[in-house]
Amino acid sequence: MNSRELFNLTLNHRDTGKAVIDFGATPVTGIHVLVVERLRKYFGLSDKPVKVVEPYQMLGEIDAELQQALGVDIIGLSARCNMFGIPNENWREMKMHWGQVVLVPGSFNTTTDNEGNLLIHPEGDLSVPPSARMPRTSYFFDAIIRQEPIDEEKLDVSQNLEEFGQVTDSDLLYWKNQLNSVKDTEKGVIVNFGGTGLGDIALVPAMNLKHPKGIRDVAEWYMSTVMRTDYVHAIFEKQTEIAIHNLTRYKEIAGDLAQAIFICGTDFGTQDSTFCSPETFNELYAPYYRKINNWIHKNTRWSTFKHSCGAVEPFMELFIDAGFDIINPVQINATGMNPVKLKEKYGDRLVFWGGGVDTQKILPFGTPAEVEDQVLRECEIFTPGGGFVFNTVHNIQANTPVENLVAMINALRKFNGEKTI
Amino acid sequence: MEDILNKIAHCIEFGKINKQSPYPPDMKDMDGADELTKQALNTGLSPDDILKKALVVGMEKIGVKFRENKVFVPQVLMSAKAFSAATVHLKPHFSNGSIKRKGTFVIGTVAGDLHDIGKNIVAMMVEGNGWEVINLGTDVKTAQFIEAIKQHSGCILGMSALLTTTMVNMEKTVKGIREVFPDQKIIIGGAPVTKEFCQKIGADYYSPDPQGAVEMLNKLVA
Repeated sequence: MNSRELFNLTLNHRDTGKAVIDFGATPVTGIHVLVVERLRKYFGLSDKPVKVVEPYQMLGEIDAELQQALGVDIIGLSARCNMFGIPNENWREMKMHWGQVVLVPGSFNTTTDNEGNLLIHPEGDLSVPPSARMPRTSYFFDAIIRQEPIDEEKLDVSQNLEEFGQVTDSDLLYWKNQLNSVKDTEKGVIVNFGGTGLGDIALVPAMNLKHPKGIRDVAEWYMSTVMRTDYVHAIFEKQTEIAIHNLTRYKEIAGDLAQAIFICGTDFGTQDSTFCSPETFNELYAPYYRKINNWIHKNTRWSTFKHSCGAVEPFMELFIDAGFDIINPVQINATGMNPVKLKEKYGDRLVFWGGGVDTQKILPFGTPAEVEDQVLRECEIFTPGGGFVFNTVHNIQANTPVENLVAMINALRKFNGEKTI
Repeated sequence: MEDILNKIAHCIEFGKINKQSPYPPDMKDMDGADELTKQALNTGLSPDDILKKALVVGMEKIGVKFRENKVFVPQVLMSAKAFSAATVHLKPHFSNGSIKRKGTFVIGTVAGDLHDIGKNIVAMMVEGNGWEVINLGTDVKTAQFIEAIKQHSGCILGMSALLTTTMVNMEKTVKGIREVFPDQKIIIGGAPVTKEFCQKIGADYYSPDPQGAVEMLNKLVA
């Protein structure tokens, strides 16, 4: 049975007897570029600078060689432009402040501030102010808040919709080529078309726009969800309409090649609680999620992927009710996120994509033996009956020890009955 | 007199900033923390009473509700905004000494960390409990923390980290501060931070939630 078939079975809650594996198929299941380089060295793969496929979090490309070494079953297809509105093309070398030479898109134009922090400019246009900053002691970017003074009388929904346009013919051509490049693949396929994330706080500052308008400050956005609910409803309503229009066109070219679709990365959980009440979720978000997910289920065979960090156990039933098939990253160390209970309560209705090993304590700071123990335990809990894709809890962060990653990979191989390294 | 103090406390607790603010819906067109604080001062109430019997009361209530998951980040941010609207009128009284504060709390996110929502909520809660707060912002280097401790002698220091990669910087920062100020009281927090980590890096206190931080600080000056 090939990876594509395994992926299909697990999405349909059929027992495969194996942990289906993802590293790098989505922007929330990847590996930091520094760790990718170290893994390549460990496995003795070709010596080359690693492509930064998602520069906001500095995720490195998991190419075919590394996919094979890691046992990856799923590949992901992503949009033409990155989070900063820069096309992923004309790759060139760039030296990062931690000494690593990486590959970035040709228009990845940066400047530095007087403290030596790296600044990236939207669309690579140096004539406009930067939209994100990477401190010189950090390993990835964070948004620079560019909030114009808010005049409540003049707030216009279209300002918060600038980044959600209808798909163009050239975008469709790009996607056709992307899909064509994997048409004979034996791996599972998830598509990240974009545009379906409602109120994703990482996207609110619109780091891809040169002059973002509307509500762009993170705290102001959170307050808008209680203070300007009509405005937020109007954004979601229009965004949903655009998204369904675009999905109609994507469906024509992706058909059954895509097996899953990344819908939304909005975090509803904190370490110990949630960002809103279940009532707010049902009132403000669920109607639009339901509309998008229902359209997908009616018109395609794609499974719908929801990412939300944190203690979201109280929201699992609501996610299911809103039409989500997959939940990620399954933050098993957050309050109430007990893997056994999650599997018992929701395992026949939700695919757990993640939850394979904790990335706040065990993977970065634990011993290889602790990593192996946890990976084996989580696989034993989540794999029976299908509905599980192994991934760490969110992206693997910079400076995660390679020996712990090797322990993770060996545990996976052991679980899947394969030869260890 | 007590009525207006209760009204201000209510505005803080429920995030009613001013008359124009549409939130909360059941207080539409009513005076908010801004107008009521001004009125309270005009009627001769002491700034110290306004702070301690209204603002602190409102912030404490929202802090407890937040810890008990009865309200969430957006509501706390609204309360913080209402609190700020009220304190604008009290600012002159802070500098002329007519309001006595519990102490000074210096806070920042550690080097490399730009995530400040949680840190700002802690800062607001502590300020709302009657402390002077010096918010150093994000990506604060060890030297900046040390400089702030020098400037605000006797202060208590708070620092946060949201990322596993910046937790390492937290450890370095605590070590750097201890070399200059071995007895400096340091309280830490942030999503991946734990009590065990706090002990490991030699910080003094850890709180998983803002109200817990407030209560720890209050114990230190009790």
